[in-house]
Amino acid sequence: MLLAPMSSRLNTETVGIKRDAPQARPDSSRWRNWLGVTPFFLFTFLFIVLPSAYLLVGAFRNNSTGQFTLGNFLGLFTPEILSAYWVTIRISAVTALGGGLLGFMMAYAVTVGGLPRWVRTTLLTFSGVAANFAGVPLAFAFIATLGRTGMVTVFLKTILGLDLYDQGFSLYSFWGLSFTYLYFQFPLMVLTITPALDGLKREWREAAENLGASTFQYWTRVALPILMPPILGAMILLFGNSFGAYATALSLTGGFINLVTIVIGSQIKGDILYNPGLGYALAVGMVVVMAMAMMIYFALRRRSERWLRQ
Amino acid sequence: MSFLTLANISKTFGATVAVADFNLNIEKGEFVSFLGPSGCGKTTTLRMIAGFEMPSTGIITLDDMDITYQPPNQRNVGMVFQAYALFPNMTVAQNIGFGLQVRKTPPAEIQKRVEEMLALIHLEEFASRYPYQMSGGQQQRVALARALAIQPRVLLLDEPLSALDAKIRVELRLEIRRIQQTLGITTVYVTHDQEEALSLSDRVVVMSRGHMEQVGTPYEIYNYPTTEFVASFVGQLNLLPIANLDRTARSCTLAGQPVHFEHSTDRPISDTPRLAIRPEEFWLGDGQGRNLLRGRVETLIFLGAIIRVRVDIGDGVLISADLFNARSLNLPRVGDEVLVSFPVHACWLI
Repeated sequence: MLLAPMSSRLNTETVGIKRDAPQARPDSSRWRNWLGVTPFFLFTFLFIVLPSAYLLVGAFRNNSTGQFTLGNFLGLFTPEILSAYWVTIRISAVTALGGGLLGFMMAYAVTVGGLPRWVRTTLLTFSGVAANFAGVPLAFAFIATLGRTGMVTVFLKTILGLDLYDQGFSLYSFWGLSFTYLYFQFPLMVLTITPALDGLKREWREAAENLGASTFQYWTRVALPILMPPILGAMILLFGNSFGAYATALSLTGGFINLVTIVIGSQIKGDILYNPGLGYALAVGMVVVMAMAMMIYFALRRRSERWLRQ
Repeated sequence: MSFLTLANISKTFGATVAVADFNLNIEKGEFVSFLGPSGCGKTTTLRMIAGFEMPSTGIITLDDMDITYQPPNQRNVGMVFQAYALFPNMTVAQNIGFGLQVRKTPPAEIQKRVEEMLALIHLEEFASRYPYQMSGGQQQRVALARALAIQPRVLLLDEPLSALDAKIRVELRLEIRRIQQTLGITTVYVTHDQEEALSLSDRVVVMSRGHMEQVGTPYEIYNYPTTEFVASFVGQLNLLPIANLDRTARSCTLAGQPVHFEHSTDRPISDTPRLAIRPEEFWLGDGQGRNLLRGRVETLIFLGAIIRVRVDIGDGVLISADLFNARSLNLPRVGDEVLVSFPVHACWLI
């Protein structure tokens, strides 16, 4: 009996709190969340937006007078620079196709192919490292193995009697550079295409078989059409990856191969060809090519993700 | 000879026995369900019929032909998967026509068949939609139409309704049965949902730990379960400890209160027999049958059409009684003393 008044009071106090509506988060947590992503925005602004704007402005400015000009862009249409773009596009296309095919086959083997789990783990770990292994160390690694006096070259020559360089191969040529690029291209393909291959449902294959399809019919009518957007997307990524490569080519060929990135380097910091305005215009051209590649990639990825939504 | 026969089928994965000594004859046009909990081997058995798994031992024959080792794409067996498995890059019409297309059927014939199938599942206006633009229930109908388009000899359904919400499940269940009866197609249906199995099937195969527990019509399975597993898995069951068992007089005591039961000799009894009674066999009051128990209401659980009353009859023994939620029902309150009666034929020993 004595408890009754106390329980009444408690009830009254409980009613006093608005329990039927969820309480809004305190405002202080909102600005803390924004504070968390501030370094990202700062980084993006300082190292992407600002340099891009600087490039764009520089590309339209005369080197000596500082006045607006289209001369830098007109300068792109010289045979040497057009050839640089053409070589860069060719090497990017070749390594995107080669790396894409090689990477796809490897990713297929460790996902759909049903190899032991440790092979998959090993390949993905290696790919994670190799996809980011470019520049001087990569060039040196290839010179040490496939250069004129490289280990593999010497081994093939002395033990098997096969002289690669007599057969027309040169590490310092278009195909030599393409071969070197494959070292970071195929791992990137492995990393980007493995999730797509994992996304292929076992039931799709079984449903196709159950409906009378052969393995070939399943791949041509179901699996490859589903995988085509991510495959093409990944290849465009590979194309862009190769298109922007600089240090590996410079270290390996010393500028003998006329790539856009090497031409930009010589225009911006060169002693003889110093023309920053042209360099900026070249870089803007690259940004345009890369942006187009990325736009195609995102469009294809969105299409694939829409399909795979269940 | 039966249309589909599974003789001495077993399947092992390493040391794990997924299916053991499975024997079943299915007649043409029959609807048979494999019912059991997860891991009981029902899907593995279905996959062996489809050809996705090879039996470790035994033979599967379909229409007098040994199909045990025949590849899945040569069996002409239609299958509907739990997760629909529609091809996401194809429209509804393309999905339905896929099986005919890979068989190199003329386009005009494919179109005609697709239209027939779309009419059968009442989705004529969805022909050009992609799977992602449809609900789960619609996708599963398309999956059913796709499996039926090839005019399979047997239709296999692997828990086709388990990914759907309750209302759609009931609707589609009726739809599946209607289509099966319209086409007269031999069907094997896998489910862990007893209501699905009982409402759809001509016969039910109850499975547990890779073994067949019982095969029978839904009525037989529910009313005359032959094992404790079947009795407890299919429907609700009170399994109550007894004392003073007199097999001759068919009587015993339950929490010190006398009970009479019927016992059929074809039902095996365990070494420590217990009394089995379905909750719906109880009656509140003394108006039903010969057995009468006295107890106190412990809980009342409202289940919509049914109200489950749990009654403590002493010695810590609780019984569950299901009462129809009629407006005239005079419900006791928790703590009330009540009499619970049930007929002699309603209980049996396990």
